[in-house]
Order: sequence, then C-alpha cells, then structure tokens
Amino acid sequence: MWTPEETQVVFLALRVALTVVAVALLPGLGVAWVLARWESRWSLLLRGVVMLPLVLPPVVTGYVLLRLFGRRSALGELWFAVTGNHIAYTTAACVLAAAVVGFPLLVESMRLSLAAVDPRLEAVSRTLGRGPWATFRSVTLPLAWPGVVAGAVLAFARALGEFGATIVLAGNIEGETRQIPVAVYTLLNQPGSTAAVTRLTLVSVALSLAALLAAAWFGGRRQRRFAG
Amino acid sequence: MIRAELIQRRRDFTLDVAFESAGPVLGVFGHSGSGKTTLLHALAGLTRSERARVHVKGEVLSERPGGVSLAPERRGLALVPQEPLLFPHLSIRENLTFARGAAREFAGEHGAKVLDVLRLRDLLDREPETLSGGEKQRVSLGRAWLSRPRMLLLDKPAASLDADLAREVVALLMHAKRELDVPMVFVTHRPSELIALADDCIVLEAGRIVAQGAPLEVLSKPKALGLARLVGIDNLMELAVVRHDAEAGLTLLDLGGGAELATPLCEVRAGATTSVGLYAEDIILCRELPGATSARNNLAGVVVAVDPIGHEVLVTLSVGRIELQARVTPGAARELGLEVGQPAFALIKTTACHHLH
Repeated sequence: MWTPEETQVVFLALRVALTVVAVALLPGLGVAWVLARWESRWSLLLRGVVMLPLVLPPVVTGYVLLRLFGRRSALGELWFAVTGNHIAYTTAACVLAAAVVGFPLLVESMRLSLAAVDPRLEAVSRTLGRGPWATFRSVTLPLAWPGVVAGAVLAFARALGEFGATIVLAGNIEGETRQIPVAVYTLLNQPGSTAAVTRLTLVSVALSLAALLAAAWFGGRRQRRFAG
Repeated sequence: MIRAELIQRRRDFTLDVAFESAGPVLGVFGHSGSGKTTLLHALAGLTRSERARVHVKGEVLSERPGGVSLAPERRGLALVPQEPLLFPHLSIRENLTFARGAAREFAGEHGAKVLDVLRLRDLLDREPETLSGGEKQRVSLGRAWLSRPRMLLLDKPAASLDADLAREVVALLMHAKRELDVPMVFVTHRPSELIALADDCIVLEAGRIVAQGAPLEVLSKPKALGLARLVGIDNLMELAVVRHDAEAGLTLLDLGGGAELATPLCEVRAGATTSVGLYAEDIILCRELPGATSARNNLAGVVVAVDPIGHEVLVTLSVGRIELQARVTPGAARELGLEVGQPAFALIKTTACHHLH
C-alpha cells in the first residue's frame, strides 16, 4: 500500500514546484514585460536566452547549471558564501533546475498576455496622473492577469515533471531531491514495484491534469475584478 | 494659455511646430497624416521629442533640450483619444474615479457638475462593454475632466461616431466649455466642429503649421479651402453675388436658372464670385413645400442620384446650374420616395452656408 516514502516524494515535489513559482514569478513578469514592450535587437537576444532551456535537452541544461553553479565557479562560490552549502544535490538544486527549465513557459505565457494589452490604455492612464508603476498595477497587470496565472500554472506543472536537468544537478537523494519522475525511474529498476509505480503515476497524472485544467480555466476566464 | 515649440523627427515624418494661443479652446485642424495626433502625444509627453518647450497656464511642463521634462502623469494634460478606450476591467464608476484624486472630485461639487453635464448618472454601475459608442465617449470625457487637468487634449473625440452622435458630443463639449472652465486643445478634421468649439486654431499640413487664427478666418483662406475639400465639406460652390440685403442680414448668390441661395451677409461686392461651403447633413429634403419656416432657402430641384453609403443615403439634387448633395437616413429616403427624376425641395438655413471666400 501507500508508503511514507511515497508521501515524502509527492510532498517534496509539490514543495519544489510551489517554490519554483514563488521564485520565478516576479523575475518572469519583469522579463515578460521587457520582451512585450521593448523592441530592439537586445530584446531579441534576451528572448533567445530565455527560450534556450525550452529547446535544449534538459540533461544539457542541467550540465550547464552544474558548471555555472559548481564548486569552482563564481556563482557557486557566491552561493556558498550566502548559504554555507554547495548547491549541487540539494533541494535548492531541484528548485533551480525546475525554475530554469520552466522559465520559458512562464515568460512566454505572460509575454503574450502583456503584449495583448493596448498600450494606448496605458498612455491614457499616464495622462490621468497615474505613474508607470501605478499604471502597471491598475491597468496592465489586471488585463494580463489570465496569462500571468496561466504562466505560473504551466511553470508549476513543468516543475512537477522535471527529470533531465534535475537528475544531473540534484541527483537522486531520498527525502532531499527525489521527486515523482526520479522516484518512478528508480522504482522501475527495482523488481516487484509495479504497484508503487502505478500509484505514483496516477498521482502524477492527477496533479498534471489539475494544473492544466487550472491553466485553461484561468486562461479562458476574463478577469473582471482585480483586488488592489 | 499654451505656448509650445516641438520638433520630433521620425524616419518618415517630422513634426516641427511653434505656436502660442490664448485659448481657451485651441483647435488643431488638418487632414489625416498631418501630424495632429503626434502633436497631442508630444504635448502630453507620451513620446520623445528632440525639442519640446511646453508652457501651459504659465507652468513649464517641458523645456527640452537643456531643461526639465515632466512625465506625462505630472503634466495634468488629460488625453481623450479618438476611440473612447475605457478600461475594460473596471465599471463606469471605477473608470470615472480612475485618475489620481478623482475619487474626491467625483464626490464633490465639481464631480456632480461633470455627471450632470455629461449625463453620466445612469451609467455609473454599468460595464464598459454594455455602453454605446456615444455613451463611452461621454464617460471618456468625464474621466478626463474628473482628473482636474490643467488642460484637456481631445483627439477627434467625435470622429468614430456617426453624424448624429458626433453632433451630440460636440454639443456636450460646447456646454462643457461654458460650464466647466477647462482649456482644451481640440483636434479635428471637421470644419463645423472647429467653428463650433475653437476660439483659435492652427492648421497642420505634413507636420508644419500652415495657418493660425480664428477658425472662420483660417477656414476662409484659400489654403484651407483646399483642405476643406480634402476633409469633406460636401458642397463647395463658386457663386456670383447677386445682391446684399443688409437689413435681413443676407447675401444672395446666383445658382443659375433664376434660383438664388441666401447666405449670411458678406463683404464680397455684387457681381464678384465667392466660395460657399455647405454640409450635406445641413440640407433638409422635402417633396412639398412646408408653410412658413426659418429656412431662407426653399430650392426647387430634381433628384439626379440616390446613393446609399453605409447607414446613410446621399441624395444629389440638381438646382439651377449646380448640384447639391444632401445626406439623409435610409428611412427618410424611403418615406419621401426619393428616386431619380423626381422633383424635390431643398430647405437650407442661411447659417448653414459657410463663406470661404
């Protein structure tokens, strides 16, 4: 039957996915806004860099991250100085891997919905005495809201399914970095664990489906009111 | 009221203007592509100008190059765009109170006046998408007024509306001009709106000012006459002056075939020719002559063409040696049984005839 290890796997997966959304949301919104509103060669380059993890094999992305945040890299040393730990093979590595891989999905959904907001509405808002930030908060964001939520949900779902970059950067440590896909992969290599694989598969399907439905619901729904 | 010097160079267009006006309503006239909207956006600080000196009511809003350039939100120049552009996610009440400090204005005396003048009270709890075009434009105007602007920037506020609604919006603006005391820069391509609203006007062509002065004076210049033809005074006629009747305040012009057109008294000597402009919507058509009316012109003619255009019908009537175009609704055309070859009368008020010299 259901084991404590499986509970641990599922909760770790949810924790990582939620952290990914929390960490990537604001930077993603910022990048999406820049891409939606600034037209220049540089924004094209930025878009390319952001989109890269979408087309790179995740294992390669994981290796690039390992080099970037490894023990002898500048970013790795910075991380060590701040946290007192090396990032590789920790839960933080799971978050980093899933965030980088999910970032393009998050940004693209937000970019499309921000680009769809009529800039003339923003101009009118400015002439009515609302500054750039107030205009963003009270005009741009509410109108782009369905896409912003959909982007967050997509990143969440992508984090739940992340395998390639995670296995390279975070490994397969029980209770620390073993989430659903890695756990399923591990169980598949152990004879007699078909039932456990099925259970985790069903949980995985249910969570992914719920996330996609949530994305569709928020995406299709016209946001009538926006608090704040 | 306003003094401005603006230079804005773009790849395919250059705006280069300098003007000063006492207002309170400065009309900006010109056909599409002449730079009217570009001028408004430059005044509002929404676009970058190479040179931008903008002073409104003695306040320096921009002094570029070299000096300050206030952000749009600090200029107090509320923009009323051609399309109403209400915030779709907010109710009408929320749209009206959107501007900084507008909630307080809304609750106060000024707010009450704005709501009354623009007849907004019944709309407050509606959603933008349920409003008609004219209602939306009223809300857009109210939203701008409630921001207590130094000045309003109106970008063809009636252009996207059909003739009746456009007239209603212009009437509201005239009312508001009297009641609400806010100076305006008013962009239009309709001479009638210019004459109705503006105290002073500039005429733009290809990003430059080609004329400035009182609307009637500016419109009467030959340059503006060419412009008027471009922007749709439907009936433009070169007619000889028959005689003046100073007592009745009329100048009679020869239409040929014994027909005469009574126009407002002008100074062109008898025998000389003058240019007269007349809007197609200012002509009333009828099958039989009514009794006494204030219209000085009851011209008998023959229908030579009936052209449905969108929601309107353009009827061409042959009178004397000229042809007059009149705009009527399809319903009116049906009811009158207007068909080619039939006789009809054109009723025209003297004041609908604009002398353009």
